[in-house]
Amino acid sequence: MIVSLASLGLGIVVGYLGQRSRMCSIGGLRDFVLVRDTALLKGALALLVTAWVSFGVVRLVSTSDVSHGLIAAGTTPSGLGAVAAVLVGAILLGFVATLSGACPLRQHVLAGQGRVGAWSFLAGFYLAAIVYTSWIAPSIGSWVL
Amino acid sequence: MTAGAATTAERESSAGVWTAVGSRLGRWSRSAVVYGVVVGVLAVVVGEWLHVNPPAAYGLCSACHGRDLADWIVNHTEGKRLFVTAAGAGWPLLTVVGLVVGSFAAARRNREFSSINLGGNVRQFAYGAVVMGAALFVGGCPTRILIRTGYGDLAGLLALGGVAAGIVAATLSMRWAARR
Repeated sequence: MIVSLASLGLGIVVGYLGQRSRMCSIGGLRDFVLVRDTALLKGALALLVTAWVSFGVVRLVSTSDVSHGLIAAGTTPSGLGAVAAVLVGAILLGFVATLSGACPLRQHVLAGQGRVGAWSFLAGFYLAAIVYTSWIAPSIGSWVL
Repeated sequence: MTAGAATTAERESSAGVWTAVGSRLGRWSRSAVVYGVVVGVLAVVVGEWLHVNPPAAYGLCSACHGRDLADWIVNHTEGKRLFVTAAGAGWPLLTVVGLVVGSFAAARRNREFSSINLGGNVRQFAYGAVVMGAALFVGGCPTRILIRTGYGDLAGLLALGGVAAGIVAATLSMRWAARR
């Protein structure tokens, strides 16, 4: 119950601010490379620094051990093969997301403001989610998330 | 602020004060830095204190939360047993629904909502499928990769470097293709 309400509320706030600020976590670097515009890059940097500071504060304030482990099992790569796999997957993610014009979060925002291409992006997005968890993830094993 | 400005501000009606506050909030909401600060704090608070965990640093992610919602729906309608993280297994994570609703509300409120078809929808469909596969493979959309890096996850830092390299490569190749 709390999970659904909290995630819905967070989504509405992020969607509202994302529509107003045109924020896109890959658009910052793209704009910097293309036209040396750093407005969105500053936003991505602010998100990174704020998350870092907030996690530090949470570790100081919180008494539970939720945020004290380094990261949940399955996301930490072990061995050089996992490092190479994460790197290749991330390069593919950045490349294709740039070709599609926006990061996945920005595509949700564009879908909300009426972009038809974003809706077809999201159709492929969610179809691939079900395909990935049904067939691809079981066959490649759990050594990378 | 001078004393004269303070007295004129006091003489303003409450409606005038509220429009001043509203215009300032409107200006702030258009800043990418304000977006980054607000989203960073909210993602950490929701992820750590409002039960959107485990896994850690899971407060905001458009790919993983979308995967959880899609798999939750398939599990509950088709009776399958697809993988859903512990955070979204009981009640569904509605982040992606909220994103579309919030963006729609902002666009309607500021008269920016319009149905635009730029074409290339089949290509966008294929891009969406590849992006979701790659995002689930590295463990998050670019936004969650930033949050994970802030959490102190070395895999997140590695993925952030890879995404940056991919963005630069794609941008340079697009510019090269456009100039050729």
